[in-house]
Amino acid sequence: MTSADLGFSKPEPLLRVSALSVDYDAAGGEVVHALRNLDLEIADGESVGVLGESGSGKSSLALALMRLLPQTARVISGSVDYRGRRVSDFSPAQLRGMRGGEVALISQEPALALNPVLPLGRQIADVLLAHRKLNRQEVSARCIEMLRQVGFTHPERIMRAYPHELSGGQRQRVAIAQALICRPKLLIADEPLSSLDAATQAEILELLQRLKRDLGLAMLFITHNAGALAALADNIVVMREGEAFARGTISTLRASPDEYVQGILFPEKSLSNAAHKVGAIDSAPLLEVRGLSKRFVQNRMLSRKEFVVQSLEDIHLVLRPGSTVAVLGRSGSGKSTLARCLAGFETPDAGEVLLEGKPAARNAKNKAGAQRQGPHSRAVFARKWAEVQMIFQDAATSLNPRFTARQIVAEPLEIAQWKSEADRTARAMKLMAEVGLDPDWASRLAGEFSGGQRQRLALARALAAEPRLLIMDEALSGLDMPLQAQMVRLLMELQARHGLTYLYISHDLNFISLFAQEVVVMDAGRIVERTTPAKLAQSSHPATRELLEAGERLHAPGVEAAV
Amino acid sequence: MIRYLARRAGHALVMLFGVSILLFLLFQAAPGDFLSEMKVNSQISPETIAKLRVQYGLDQPLPVRYWQWVKSSAKGEFGYSFAYNTPASTLLWPRARNTLLLSIPALLISWLIAVPLGVLAAGWKGRWADRLFSGGTSALLALPDVLIAMLALLLALKTGIFPVGGMTSVDAQDQGTWAWLRDLGWHMVLPVAALVIGSLTIILRHVRASVREVMEASYMRAAEGHGLPRLKLLFGYALPAAANPLISLFGLSVAMLLSVSLLIEVVMSWPGMGPLLLEAILARDLFVVIGAVMLSTVFLIAGNLLGDVLLYAYDPRIRRQA
Repeated sequence: MTSADLGFSKPEPLLRVSALSVDYDAAGGEVVHALRNLDLEIADGESVGVLGESGSGKSSLALALMRLLPQTARVISGSVDYRGRRVSDFSPAQLRGMRGGEVALISQEPALALNPVLPLGRQIADVLLAHRKLNRQEVSARCIEMLRQVGFTHPERIMRAYPHELSGGQRQRVAIAQALICRPKLLIADEPLSSLDAATQAEILELLQRLKRDLGLAMLFITHNAGALAALADNIVVMREGEAFARGTISTLRASPDEYVQGILFPEKSLSNAAHKVGAIDSAPLLEVRGLSKRFVQNRMLSRKEFVVQSLEDIHLVLRPGSTVAVLGRSGSGKSTLARCLAGFETPDAGEVLLEGKPAARNAKNKAGAQRQGPHSRAVFARKWAEVQMIFQDAATSLNPRFTARQIVAEPLEIAQWKSEADRTARAMKLMAEVGLDPDWASRLAGEFSGGQRQRLALARALAAEPRLLIMDEALSGLDMPLQAQMVRLLMELQARHGLTYLYISHDLNFISLFAQEVVVMDAGRIVERTTPAKLAQSSHPATRELLEAGERLHAPGVEAAV
Repeated sequence: MIRYLARRAGHALVMLFGVSILLFLLFQAAPGDFLSEMKVNSQISPETIAKLRVQYGLDQPLPVRYWQWVKSSAKGEFGYSFAYNTPASTLLWPRARNTLLLSIPALLISWLIAVPLGVLAAGWKGRWADRLFSGGTSALLALPDVLIAMLALLLALKTGIFPVGGMTSVDAQDQGTWAWLRDLGWHMVLPVAALVIGSLTIILRHVRASVREVMEASYMRAAEGHGLPRLKLLFGYALPAAANPLISLFGLSVAMLLSVSLLIEVVMSWPGMGPLLLEAILARDLFVVIGAVMLSTVFLIAGNLLGDVLLYAYDPRIRRQA
């Protein structure tokens, strides 16, 4: 019996999700809730946006709709109906027919969505052949037509190419062509823009808009980027911790008074209230860098010439307690080398680094001297130097995935042989709570945390040594915007509470004005400009202008709200 | 590609020289030589032994002996067998052919079974078939090759269907080419089967592990999300993506099969390199041992080279780098 027989005026939606709950089994018998009682409806031709930060269960939703959840996931309750038929009751053949034929999925990472050893033409054709009975000429004609539709001028060449021969944007186009070759009714796009650069994002967004219009496609667009949804979605669901937190059109949500909704729509705006400046300008410097130089020289065989790979030239820098200095520069400008010299990972060729007015042992001049002074002074040096801690760009690679959260955070304490095991554990729990992680997760493995949580874990580990200076080398660059905003807020709170000093290294200007008192711009190993965030925009130095313009380019149409 | 092959051939040549020098040094270091046992025999006078020593060139210093061997190898003789009084090559060639007669069919059969079965097993994750598979392969892996060969012999003895060892029947030569070939084939069945069983499990487990690892990749989930049929997913998408380490393993499995083959030949009295090498070592028949080891090295290098060439032909990414 259809709804029409019952006299309902409202037609059956294309896809209906009712009270869907999904759990993941984590290691150690723990259960992580990915989705909680989620309701969602998509009508023919309608686009629904799902907005949420990482870890809000967005991707689990996409997989649950396609019945593609990994084996560790369980559907606890609720149902997914496609055209009134329950997807969980589908036979394997029906399921295959739906996947790709009726509902298609494009995923986050186009580089990883395509098989690396098969020609692209075959990968598109296989999808078509899985759903339609066609001969070779028809298949090839349909593939070429589809590739032209997603904007390739030479589809024949793309058909023969392999994924590694294409750029990220091109690969995403191919993935879209592959998804749409069977003319599905619904396209589920899981963060289709997040791994692309700003210009390509705008291009792909435009393409999706055009395809939606031309093919009458219904779309479920999953993203953390509110700007993209403004251009694409009829209705938006804001997700938080697996639940639908708010619903509405982009304009009703923008008018919403709710702080969380505002935070996710305008990640930067939400910070301005929290912004407060600390750091006394006249106090004695915590760290002073005088005439620091470092060259990396590459010797090539059969050649007397030395090739200078990367260098620092005559760097002067003063960090006062409780302040934040931002070091900006594009990649290769020497920012990371500076950070590594300051943290003691590299020995500078010339110049000195003074911590509270005393020279650090890694200075070039007394390199030999430090060894002569014997183990005692080295221990003193190590204790002193624990006051400088570093957080790296990619928390995923700087944390051992087989360590539990407790082991990671307590590691610096163990190295310092700080108190007893129980004290260390208690302190690790406290530190986790301080960076906004649930101490109950202490026994989880590092690999089970999300990207943002891992960065918090790295922060907790750095704080364990009770540092006075934190060096953050692109520490936020790997996170999406709402998470970056949260981290900045957290860092500012910690700074106020513990009187921390920050050296914040970045290639973009996000949050700089809220966060830093002083900005230093580096180019080709030299400091080319010193200014304040407020005056940064008026700078005339070419290196600074380049950074500013790159920032503006990111405000491409449709994605402006994310930056 | 041709430059790449030339470079690899150059490496192989250098390696062969290294192996030969190492072998000479090792033999120098080992106590005794072919004539040592004659000394115990009171019927042979010390003068005769001294004369033989000069005749065989064993009185020469090591570099001279090595140079003599290189010259003889250049002529294709690979030194002289003391025990058989003929150039070593006349012993080595037919034996090498017999060994290849076992190894090559065993290699092909192993891979023809291991690839489809391993891929299917990768798709069985967590089911009873998977557990059965793991248990079965573990048990086979734990079985020593000698035992497999001896079980095969026992089977032949008890049933009487298969010949118990050897390569041909006594009268085979007289009954015409077809009958001879059929007789040879019949004799091959058990040694080849023993070889296949001995090498299959390792390959099988590698195939399953490689394919299963690829099945976790996000492009496999994407392909599943496009509704591709299961067999197409396994054989058309997972296997090609998992093939690289397997192609390298194919090259390595040549060496693996050869070493298992030496053992099985001895047990099942197949006139291949195995029994020859064993005899030569016991008799301290210097040049035959060196020749046999050098030939094995050549097979090994050839196997690896084959793997590399296949890899080059197969993977578009490697083609671009080379």
